[in-house]
Amino acid sequence: MRITVNGVTTNVDVEDEMPLLWVLRDELKVKGPKYGCGIAQCGACTVHVDGLAVRSCSITAKQVEGRDVTTIEGIGSPDALHAVQEAWIEHQVAQCGYCQSGQIMSAASFLSMHPSPSDDQIDHAMSANLCRCGTYPRIREAIKTAAAKMREA
Amino acid sequence: MKPRSISIFAIGFLLLGAAGTAFSHGPGDDGSQIDLVVNTPEEDVTLEAGLAAWDRIYTVTSHPRCSNCHTDERNEPMWSGPSYGKTRPHGMNINAGDSRIGVETIFCSTCHVQSTAPNTVRHAAPHTGHPWMLAPVEFNWFGQTSETVCAQMRDPERNGGRNGDDLVEHIIHDAEIKAFITWGFNPGGGREPAPGTMQEHLDDMVAWTAAGMPCPVDGD
Amino acid sequence: MVNVGKIARRSFLVGSVAVAGGVAFGYYAVQKPHKNPLLASLADGEATFNPWVKISSKGITLITPHADLGQGAYSMQAALIAEELDLEFGQFDIEPGVPAAAYYNTALGAELAPFRSTDESFQAETMRTVFSSVTKLMGAQGTGGSSSVPDSFEKLRIAGAVARETLKKAASKRTGIDVSDLTTRQAAVVLPDGTMLTYAELAADAAKIKPVKNVELRDPSEWRLVGKEMQRLDIIPKSTGTLTYGIDLDFEGMLYAAVKVNPRQGGELNGYDASTAETMRGVQKILPVTNGVAVIANNTWRAFKAVDAITYDWGDAPYPAEQADHWKAVEASFTDDFLDNEWRADGDVDAAIDGNSIEAEYRAPYVAHQPLEPIGAVIKVTDDRLDIWVGHQMPRFVQQQIAAITGHDVKDIHLHNQYMGGSFGHRLEFENVKLAAEIGNQMRGEIIKLTFSREEDFAHDFPRQIAMARGRGAVSGGQVEAYDLGVAAVSSSDSQGARANLSRPGPDGQLAAGAWNLPYAVPNFRMRTYKVPELAPTSSWRSVGASSNGFFADCFLDELIHAAGADPMAERIRLCDHDVSRKVLEAVAEMSGWGTDLGENRGRGVAFVESFGVPIAEVIEVTNTENGIRIDKVFVAADVGTVVDPINFDNHVKGGVVWGLGHAMNCEITYADGMAEQSNFHAHEGMRLHQCPEIVVRGLENAEKVRGIGEPPVPPAAPALANAIFAATGQRIREMPFNKHIQFV
Repeated sequence: MRITVNGVTTNVDVEDEMPLLWVLRDELKVKGPKYGCGIAQCGACTVHVDGLAVRSCSITAKQVEGRDVTTIEGIGSPDALHAVQEAWIEHQVAQCGYCQSGQIMSAASFLSMHPSPSDDQIDHAMSANLCRCGTYPRIREAIKTAAAKMREA
Repeated sequence: MKPRSISIFAIGFLLLGAAGTAFSHGPGDDGSQIDLVVNTPEEDVTLEAGLAAWDRIYTVTSHPRCSNCHTDERNEPMWSGPSYGKTRPHGMNINAGDSRIGVETIFCSTCHVQSTAPNTVRHAAPHTGHPWMLAPVEFNWFGQTSETVCAQMRDPERNGGRNGDDLVEHIIHDAEIKAFITWGFNPGGGREPAPGTMQEHLDDMVAWTAAGMPCPVDGD
Repeated sequence: MVNVGKIARRSFLVGSVAVAGGVAFGYYAVQKPHKNPLLASLADGEATFNPWVKISSKGITLITPHADLGQGAYSMQAALIAEELDLEFGQFDIEPGVPAAAYYNTALGAELAPFRSTDESFQAETMRTVFSSVTKLMGAQGTGGSSSVPDSFEKLRIAGAVARETLKKAASKRTGIDVSDLTTRQAAVVLPDGTMLTYAELAADAAKIKPVKNVELRDPSEWRLVGKEMQRLDIIPKSTGTLTYGIDLDFEGMLYAAVKVNPRQGGELNGYDASTAETMRGVQKILPVTNGVAVIANNTWRAFKAVDAITYDWGDAPYPAEQADHWKAVEASFTDDFLDNEWRADGDVDAAIDGNSIEAEYRAPYVAHQPLEPIGAVIKVTDDRLDIWVGHQMPRFVQQQIAAITGHDVKDIHLHNQYMGGSFGHRLEFENVKLAAEIGNQMRGEIIKLTFSREEDFAHDFPRQIAMARGRGAVSGGQVEAYDLGVAAVSSSDSQGARANLSRPGPDGQLAAGAWNLPYAVPNFRMRTYKVPELAPTSSWRSVGASSNGFFADCFLDELIHAAGADPMAERIRLCDHDVSRKVLEAVAEMSGWGTDLGENRGRGVAFVESFGVPIAEVIEVTNTENGIRIDKVFVAADVGTVVDPINFDNHVKGGVVWGLGHAMNCEITYADGMAEQSNFHAHEGMRLHQCPEIVVRGLENAEKVRGIGEPPVPPAAPALANAIFAATGQRIREMPFNKHIQFV
C-alpha cells in the first residue's frame, strides 16, 4: 500500500493491521517516533495524521493510506527548527529524551489549535504523554514559550 | 402509554421485509458477521414484561462498558469496572470538554482511533467504527438510578429526539457501523463485555418500546 | 592550589593503607596505572595523553566512559575535561570509549565503605580508600550510585590539564618559547604575539614527548564552564528526534528478534508449541533460549506477534507464587536469626522507652524501573569476533556475561555503548545482553536487533526491594528521646550481585541506607537491619535502599515529633548534629516559608534524608480537595559540594522528586501465580504532568566533597508527601503506594 510520510509517498508491503509505528520504524526507517508501550499509554510514538496528533502504535497502516503522516522529522530539523523544538531547546527540557519526540508532537498539534492555552488546558492536553525522567516542569514552561513564538510568527 | 407493537412490526417489515428475518452487518470484532433479528412480538407486550425488559436494559446501560462514557457535565470519561480496580475518572487527566470529543484540549481520537478492526490488544485504547467520544451530556448514565436513566431514555427532549422505533433503529444502525453498542458487547482486549448479547439487548429494546417504554415508577 | 594537595594526600593514604592495613592487593598493584586502552588503536599522527583525550589533525575527541542514561553524563564529563583543556562546546567530539579497566569508578568503591558520609575521620577515609582500591583492581567501570560526578570531578580536570600542559610543551619545543610564556584558548596554544597554534596541528609533536605529569588545577574562581549554565551536547538531537538510541540502530540486512521468557522469573520452560508462529508472515526462525523462546523475524512487530502466538508450558516460580506470602516472609524476619547488622546503638533505647513506647509499622512494595526505552541489544556474533551495541551501565560485566555464553575471549567482545532512554537502575542488569548473546550465538554471521516488548520488560524487570520497618520510640518534654528502627528487607545487593557473579562480604549497607545515617543526635538511637531471604529477584532502583528507608525513617521520626508536640522543622533542626545538613534544613525552611498559615484543607510536610553523601530536605504543600490530594508545591534544598551545571542540576532534582512522588502515589509490583501482575504503564503509572507540582530547587555548596544528584532527591519525596498529607488530613499513611489509602487528583 502507499503511505505518505513527511510528504514522501512510498509503497510498503505490509499487513493492513501493522501499526503505523512499526511501518515507520522498521520499514521506512523513520526513527523519531519511539516505541514505549504499544497501547497508547505513553505517547512516545505520537505523529500527526492530517495534522492531528495520533498515537502511531494504535493506528494501522491501512487506516493511514491516502492520508498525510507527519513525524517529528517532518515538522523541523536541527537546521530549521519548529517553534516547539526551539522552545524545547531553550528550556533544555530533555533528560533521557526518549519521550520528547512524542511530547513535542503532542504540543505542536495542541498549540496549532490553541495558540494561547491556559495552564489548565496544558495540563489536560499533555498528561497523556508519559515522561519517566520527570521533565514535566520544563515541558510546561517550554509550551508557554512555544505558544508565544507561534503567536509572534 | 399504549403498547406500540404495530409500529414496531412496521419497522421490522420496513427493514427486513418480514419480521423475524435475519440480516447481517459487515465483519464483527472476531471477523464473523453480526446477525441481528428484530423479533417483533406477536402479541401486546405486558407492562410486567416491559418492566422486566427495562431491568435488563438497565443492567446494560449501567455496566461500566456503557456508562463509563455516559457521564455528566464535568465531561470526564470514567474508569470503572473489573478492568480498572477502584472507580476513578479516566487517567491522564482526560477531559472531553463540552464538545464531548476533546476539541478543547486533546481529541479522543489521539489514542482511540476510528476503526472497525478487531480490538485484540490487551489494555490498548479501544476503538470502534464511530469516532470515540462521550455520549451527549443529557444521556448521563454513570451512577444514575434505573428510574433516572429510564426517564431520560423515553424523553425525546433528552434522548436525541427519538421515539421507540428510533431507539430500536439506533441499535441496528450501531451494528451497521460497528459503533459503541456493538463494541460494548464485544469489547475485546480482555475487557468484560456488557451483560447478555446484542441480540438479547435488541429483543429487550423491542419489547420495552412495544410495551410503551414503561419505567419502574409506572409499575408502582 | 587546594586540589593538588588533596591528590597528594590521597596518594599518601593509599600507601599508608597498604602497609598499615596489610591489604593483600599490594601497594604496587594499587598504584600501577592501568594500560591505556587508546594506545592499541592509535593512528599515525594521533597523540594520547591519558584515556580521556584524543587529538589528531582531524579534531579533538573526548572520551566519556560514564554511560549516559539520560542524566547528562556525557556533557558533564566533557565539560570537566574542556574546562582545563580550554575547549569550547562545539570544538570537540565525544565517544563513550571502549570497556576498559582504566575507566574504573573511583567513587563507587568509597560508597561501599560502611561509614556515614559525614564521617571524615582518618579511619573512615582510610577504609574508603581501601574499598576504592578494590574497585580499581577489579577495573570496575560503572555508572550508578550517583557516582559519575564524584568519580570524574578531579580525574577529568586533571586529564584536561595534563593534555593542555603537554600541548604547551610541544608548542614550546617547536617555537623555542618558554612554556611559562604560553597560554591556551579555544583549542589552541597562544604565543606571546597572539599567534594561535591549534591543538590539532600540535598533536603529532605532542605524541613524541612524554606527557606532563605534574599539573596544577585551576582555582574555582577561574572556571569558565564548571558551575555555569551549559547547553547539553545532546539537547538539539533530543529535541528534533534525531538522536539515535540503542533501539533505533539499523544495519543492512538486520533481523529483528523478540523473546518470551518464563514470566515466573527463574522458572523453567517445560515445553512450547510454535506451530502457529512458524507459519506467520516474516518469521525466519524460532529458537530456544534459557527458560524461553526467541522469534527472529523481518520486523519487530511481526516478531512480537509471533512470540505471542506460541503457547508455553511454564514451570513454577522459585519464590512464593502469591504476594501475600512475600509479605509474610518479610513480617517473619524481624528476629535475631535474620539480624544483618546493628548499625547504630546510641544511648539505651530500651531503657528510654520503658513502657512508653510509640510504635508504628511501615511497608514499601516491589516497584519496577521501566525506563521508557525498553531494553534490548543489537548483536553480531562471528567465530572470531563479537559486536554488541547496547546502552549499559556496566560494560565490562557485559563482556564477561557474554563470554560465558559464547566462549569468546573478552578481548574479542566489542561493546558499543549507546545513548539510553532512561535506566533508573534497569541497565545494570544483563537479561537483554544474555538473551541477545544466546540468539546471536545460534545465528552466527547475522546481525540481529532484540527488542523487549513493554510487557516482556515488565515481566522481567528486577524490581526494587520489598521492605518493612518497625519503629519504637519515646518522647518527653516536647522532644524526641528515643528512636529505635528495625528494617526487614530482601537484599537487592545480594540478588543483583549474584547475577553479576559478585559477592560482598559483611552486612548489606543498602538495607540501612537512608535510615541509620540520619544526622540526628537523638539521645537514644538504635537502627538494626534484618535480611529477608530472597523472594522475587530484585535490583538497584533509583536511590536503592534509601528509596524505602527514607520513607520509613523520616516518617517515623515525624510521628515522634508530632507525639512530642514539637514543630516538625524546629525539632529536626534542633536534633541535627551535622552543620552541612542543618544548613540544608534551614534553607528549605526559609524557602518554603515554614510556619506560615496555609489555610483550610492544606498541609505542609518536611522530610530530610541523606543518601549517596548528599544531605537533602524537601518541603511539600498539599491540598485535600474533594477529588483527592493535590500536591501543590515542593521546595528542595540539597548540598552537593559543587554544582557542576545549574540547569542539569535543577532538571535532575525535579525529575528525582517526580520519580519519588509518582511511585509513592501509585506504583507497585505484586505477584500472582508467580508472575508480576502489572504488565504495562496502565497499571504502573507514575506521575502524569497534571499531577506535577511546582518545584523550587536550591543547590547549596557547603559540603567539602563534590557529589552526584541522580538519586538523592528521590528518598525524601515520599516521606515529605506522607507528612504533608498527615498535616492536611490527620491521616498517617504508612504504606506505599499511598493510593491504597487515599485518592490523588
